[in-house]
Order: sequence, then structure tokens, then C-alpha cells
Amino acid sequence: MPSYELALVLRQMARPELVSTLKRTAESILDKGGIIRKIENMGQQNLPYKISVHGQVHKVGNMFTIEFDSAPTQIDDLAEEYSRDIDIIRKNIFKVEQPPEIKCTLHEELLPPAYRKEVQEMVRIGQKKQKKKFNYNSGLDYYPFQK
Amino acid sequence: MSFRIISSLIQKGPIRILARTESTAAITPTIANSAQSDEPIDITNPFEKDRAQCILCRSNITPNYKNVKLLSQFQSPYTGRIYGRHITGLCKAKQEQVEKEIIKAQNCALMPTYHKSVEFLQDPKLFDPERPIRPHKY
Repeated sequence: MPSYELALVLRQMARPELVSTLKRTAESILDKGGIIRKIENMGQQNLPYKISVHGQVHKVGNMFTIEFDSAPTQIDDLAEEYSRDIDIIRKNIFKVEQPPEIKCTLHEELLPPAYRKEVQEMVRIGQKKQKKKFNYNSGLDYYPFQK
Repeated sequence: MSFRIISSLIQKGPIRILARTESTAAITPTIANSAQSDEPIDITNPFEKDRAQCILCRSNITPNYKNVKLLSQFQSPYTGRIYGRHITGLCKAKQEQVEKEIIKAQNCALMPTYHKSVEFLQDPKLFDPERPIRPHKY
């Protein structure tokens, strides 16, 4: 089962309601055969932009993230279920992956254009696209093509 | 990378010592010997610069959408747009990661889209947008 991360924004509400909403969202993962690894609370925050969902405009939200493992076939169902929940302002499910090994290529990118690989490639493509020109010193004393 | 230098012209560095030892070994250099000392020698380029690394690769940081304070440093305070590679000075891969994570954070309502968060406006500047490393597109 791959790992996923659910970024939740819940609407502003009293603590007991908040607890029950969080419990509901977590239980729906468990009901679908998933495993919850971590629940993080990022607290109540002012939203950076107002969001209107379920006929209401929200300016404050409670941020949570839930890390869980689940079958990939269940993800769409989960997202659909959360989109129907009126206490959830926004939900995003991301796949958690190991960050790829990156070798810094800044040194090559800072080289003058003629030494950069992508520029060399570009020049080569440009030369390839150029139309062939008739060479006048071909031994023929007339122009062989239509003018 | 090898760098050919005529040893008789070299006046500093380890090559000078090499030339001196040669001259002490043969006090009266013959014509053949002097010809040998004039020959170009193979050494690595002493003027080669260190490999440039971008700020995120240097400190080995992988940007994450929850790290809003870091991501907002790559955002314009006036328009909220993500600065390009010619301004941020990041390598291609890291710039791509940063852009991806900023959009993720904006979709999760963690980061504003049309301005920079007011609490991060006083953060130290990583680069100067007025002085891009490559000419501006516009």
C-alpha cells in the first residue's frame, strides 16, 4: 500500500465539533482498509484567500494533515466522500514519495551559451531545419531547378 | 582537464620548484637537457574555478509544501508570482521542485496567490530581483 498525505482545511467550529469531524474523516480511511500513520494539527489560521464552499464563505480554517497508507483504488472514493462533507473546506491527497537524488547542475547552466548542452542541441536542430541551397560550383553551366 | 604550460615561462607554484631541482641535478645543462626543460608539461588547470552550487543544493534542502516560510521567499511581494530561475539562481531541478511545492501550498490554502504573506515580508532576501543572473525576458 502506498503512502498518502491528506491536507485538510476544516471550517471554524467549536472544539467538540472539530473532534467529531476529525474522527469522522479518520474513520473513513480506516473503513476503506487504510492505516493512519500520523495526524498533525497546524492550528486555526486565517485563510490566505476567502473560500466559498457549500453555500458559505470561509475566511478562517483549521489546518490538519493526516498521513496514511491506503490502496490506490480507494483514493478517489475518499476524495469524493470528503467533498460531500460540509465541515471540510478543502482537501488534497498527495502521494508521499522519496525525493529524487538531485545533482546540482547550476555550474553547467552558468556557462556561456556556446558551451551549454541545450544551446548546442538547439543550434544543431536549427541547422538541420535549414533548406539546402544549390551550390553554383557544381560543374553544371545551368540552374537545374525551376526558378 | 589537462593544461599545457611551457615550464620555462612558469614563475610561481610547484612548477618553479620542479624547474629548480632539474637545474641543480645538471649544473651544466647540455643542449638536449635545455630542450627537454622547454617542453610543455601536462598538469591540471590551476585556474579552474570551484563548481557553483545553488542555495538549496548547498544546504541539502528539499522544499515541502508545508514549509511556507521558505517557499514564500521565492514569491514576489507585489504580485505573488513565483520568481524565475534567472532571478532565484536555483538549478533547474530545484526550481521545478520549488514551483511545484508553492502551487501545492496555494491549493491547500496555506499560501496566498496574489501577494506574499504579511508576516514573511521582513524575511531576509535570498536574491535581488533587480539584478538577474541572466537578461530578463521582457
